[in-house]
Amino acid sequence: MKKYWAIFSTQIVNSLAYPGDFLGRSASIVIFMLIFAGLWRATFAAAGTESINGLTFPNMLWYLLMCEVIELGRPRVNRVISEQVKSGEVAYLLSKPYNFLIYHFFHGLGDGGVRAALNLLVGIPAVWLLVGPPPTLIGWGMAVTLAFGAWVLHFCMMSLIGLLAFLVEETNSFELIYQKAVFILGGMLLPLDMFPGWLQPAAKSLPFAYMMYAPARLFVKPNLTMFWQFLSMQWIWIIVLVFLLGLAYRSSVRSLAVNGG
Amino acid sequence: MSSITVTNLQKTFRAKRKAAGLGGSLRALVRPQYSTVEAVRGLSFEMEAGELLGFIGPNGAGKSTTIKMLTGILHPSAGEASVLGFTPWKDRQKLAYQIGTVFGQRQQLWVHLPAIDTFMLFGKIYELDDKDVKRRIGFLSEAFEIQDLLETPVRKLSLGQRMRCEVAASLLHRPKLLLLDEPSIGLDVVAKQHIRDAIRRMNQEEGVGVLLTSHDAGDLEAMCKRVIIVNHGQIVYEDKVSNLKRKYLASKMVEVRYAEQVSRDFHLDGVEVLKVGHYGVKLRFDTHQTPVQKVLAHLTEAGDVVDITISDPPLEEVIARIYQEANPT
Repeated sequence: MKKYWAIFSTQIVNSLAYPGDFLGRSASIVIFMLIFAGLWRATFAAAGTESINGLTFPNMLWYLLMCEVIELGRPRVNRVISEQVKSGEVAYLLSKPYNFLIYHFFHGLGDGGVRAALNLLVGIPAVWLLVGPPPTLIGWGMAVTLAFGAWVLHFCMMSLIGLLAFLVEETNSFELIYQKAVFILGGMLLPLDMFPGWLQPAAKSLPFAYMMYAPARLFVKPNLTMFWQFLSMQWIWIIVLVFLLGLAYRSSVRSLAVNGG
Repeated sequence: MSSITVTNLQKTFRAKRKAAGLGGSLRALVRPQYSTVEAVRGLSFEMEAGELLGFIGPNGAGKSTTIKMLTGILHPSAGEASVLGFTPWKDRQKLAYQIGTVFGQRQQLWVHLPAIDTFMLFGKIYELDDKDVKRRIGFLSEAFEIQDLLETPVRKLSLGQRMRCEVAASLLHRPKLLLLDEPSIGLDVVAKQHIRDAIRRMNQEEGVGVLLTSHDAGDLEAMCKRVIIVNHGQIVYEDKVSNLKRKYLASKMVEVRYAEQVSRDFHLDGVEVLKVGHYGVKLRFDTHQTPVQKVLAHLTEAGDVVDITISDPPLEEVIARIYQEANPT
């Protein structure tokens, strides 16, 4: 396990190689939150109500901050694998004594962890100034637990897409489709509570709900019963996807063709 | 004792084909066409433990594909291989502890970090003790003369400096076998010499076996005892390097540029004039018939030399000669 911890910590140092650029990119979350604030302020004003489906305007902004932090910190493992396959550098990764997917897990966790931490560091004061203090400590606890599971789910999905690179090399189009599915069915565009009644159970049975909605919803409205429900569903999906990932890896590594001499 | 045994190894790729232009792209979308590329066709050879074996051939000969099968990265289409007692594609991770790899056109060092960070990371990956890693880094940095480079971000190193760090990194865990795929590609003469000297030293001091692919005959002469030449995925020649040198690498080409106009008479016994101008000349000669020293003395007498290059015949030429001898008709 020490080797994977070393990969994680080395990637944290690697992510901070250009601190100016990193801080600059983190500042973009402020722009996103200002846009969301404008949009939702107008929506609440038009609806003429303090709360929509149980969520107030401040709830909505803190919900969206959590979604943005997860989205901006999610692993980009498909792009990394695709780049490594195209450049042929995958040869080095496969000739080292570690598991290829666990290597990418800890590499991505180091990268995503730093991005998420910096986005929180910049985003929290911005949203606090816009709508007041953040939710309770219980909300934070539930959100962090579910956000980790959300990250693992993202990792599994992005790795499945990334392994397609062993066959087709370029995976951007698959990522785009996936991203849109998470935006809509994951509750980033609209919290699932605002979906029509018939669509909510369907959306909650898919893994996307546990990549954004679950941690963000319990962040602003902590509920112990829902927490255990969400956590169980999240880990059922993680187990299913890890199993599929194992199968996909075994099959794709056999069909790998390393580019170049 | 053999460290590598390869029997009838084959690798076939399916490559997508597309005609030029927009029409070709559209046709490829509707009806994709594939061609089969036989990269490796029934290779069989053995390598002894601690041996310095050259595995050379022109571009596209199947050298790198063979190395990648021997490291377990690629699965063969047919055939068998045993590397240090392991079947590479079945026991890739176990084998990884025993071998070092360098792929000349790729990088394993983390580019944004100083090389020392990757060395320390590799120490953890190969499960080495921290004190041992530091001792080992000290030894390798002296052998590869990289003491002053270790704390510079890798992206700021020259290609030659980076390659010295890459090869040193691949030796950190004291592998029994080093698989070098074009380690000298793109390097200048001095950088090549640095790497060749350090690899020879590691072979002598630590007994590490080296399988080296290259399309530079100079690498072979400088480092290897035995050579296998491959072309179109097949072995075309296998012998001691000394025999190859005697038979095929005895001729040298020399190109000289002068500061001022010189006499055009460069004729000397055993020397063939390939090209001659007012300010320079290109010659070929056989070192068995005419010593290098004699040719150089003759050339420097002609005028003030501003530049001189001595090179081996291109590998393609050597292979053509081997083919001609094998098929005289």
